[in-house]
Amino acid sequence: MPELLRASRCPRCRRLVVPPASLCPDHPVKMEAATLPPLGEVVSFTTLHSPPEGFRAPLHLALVQLEGGARLFCHGAATDGVKIGSHVSVEAVDSVFYFSNMGFTDRARLFWRRAGARGERIGAIGKSVVKGILNRRPRGED
Amino acid sequence: MTDVWIAGAGMTRFGRRDENLPDLMAEAALAALADAGIERPDALVIAAMNPEEFTGEGNYASLIATRLGLSQVPALRVETATSSGVAAVYSAYAAIAAGFHRSILVVGGEKMTHVATPRVSEIIGRSIDPHEKSYGTTMPALAGLVTRAAMHRRGFTLREISQVAVKNHAHGARNPYAHFQEPVKLEAVMESRLVADPLRLFHCCPISDGGAALVLTAEPRAVRIAGIGQGADSIAVRYRSDLTSFRATQAAARAAYRMAGFGAERVEVAELHDAFTPFELISLEDTGLVPSGKAGRATLDGETAVGGRLPINPSGGLKARGHPLAATGISQIVELCWQLRGKAEGRQVPARVGLAQSIGGLATNNWVTLVEARR
Repeated sequence: MPELLRASRCPRCRRLVVPPASLCPDHPVKMEAATLPPLGEVVSFTTLHSPPEGFRAPLHLALVQLEGGARLFCHGAATDGVKIGSHVSVEAVDSVFYFSNMGFTDRARLFWRRAGARGERIGAIGKSVVKGILNRRPRGED
Repeated sequence: MTDVWIAGAGMTRFGRRDENLPDLMAEAALAALADAGIERPDALVIAAMNPEEFTGEGNYASLIATRLGLSQVPALRVETATSSGVAAVYSAYAAIAAGFHRSILVVGGEKMTHVATPRVSEIIGRSIDPHEKSYGTTMPALAGLVTRAAMHRRGFTLREISQVAVKNHAHGARNPYAHFQEPVKLEAVMESRLVADPLRLFHCCPISDGGAALVLTAEPRAVRIAGIGQGADSIAVRYRSDLTSFRATQAAARAAYRMAGFGAERVEVAELHDAFTPFELISLEDTGLVPSGKAGRATLDGETAVGGRLPINPSGGLKARGHPLAATGISQIVELCWQLRGKAEGRQVPARVGLAQSIGGLATNNWVTLVEARR
């Protein structure tokens, strides 16, 4: 499993942001340090065909939502097979976030770990299997 | 609070222009002053988003005041990224409503086409959150993220976002001030090259030069500013919980309707910020002009075309009239003023109340203005 991501939490509204920030975007309150598992869902993604200077085309970008609600921008090697809602893992390389599609075993492990706390392991594994099958459908129009 | 009226309106043709920015602003300003019958306003408010970067000139308020032969008239410059023009209108509105001045010239403009496109994109991109910009995000990239999310969650289709371009080009073809005055076909829009998947070239507004100006006054005239509202949101897109509507527009619309004392039901024509065509659909719903989920259908059914139930962007919008940044928000109100006075030749719609919506940055600093013809 990749490393935990450094984040900040607002002591007033509990909101999480990545990368860490000194003040909450919604309150002039000093945020506290937090860490987050590097796992999330794709909120949206795009491919830039004429990226700005210093970036190679095509540039794949995704906005990913981590557990707890923090969102972050990521680069990716490709967006083939990525969908809104796809589960991805996020890794920081030289302070730059990269997303990669999670394989079936990664997803199963994620659901196992999440569900472990709630004692619903069997159901979670079932959901993960179903999701694996659904994700094999051809891509929709969007 | 004193009522604020539009005494004069003027603009240059938008597009690729040879003149420098002070000359473009002067052309618009002199047209508005002549329209108002005012030689010397009490004050000036200037809007320019990135003149230092595009033209190398600074101290813009004094530069333009002097260029206009009004060097001793108090002048200030206002900036809220791509909505700077309306921020300037707001400053002038507030000063007149408060009784500080009786007449104010508002002029905005931008000169961009002499700069190479990647450099223009980089300069406009400075209005993006620095962390997000470090990932190579540009305005089209952020708009691409918004568009994909809106197609997924709100069901916008490629045909709907493309029809906005077809409609606005058709309107631009009837507007002598528009950058693009040629219609485009739906297939051409849908098959234009990908810029930021799923956004295509013909979904994006052009890079334009131009100026636009208004003279506001405390003396009753034909058109009144009934309401003007500002709404804000985080510059960091990752701090927002919803990508598919703009909180800043919704807040601005609420403030403007509250000030005007009426709601969306009285609006008969609107100019919306279609920098990217899906933004017109999002803005239609954010301003309450069309019920949630109905903007795409209304567009395909022709309701938002000139001649339809609620004409949107009769000027051609940013898509066809063009988008010289700080001129844009003012030019929307210029168009509404002409429409309400019955002077929008070739594209006239029957209307007594108009709404203009302007987006600053990626919807970080938005404005909604309501104008009403005198009863």
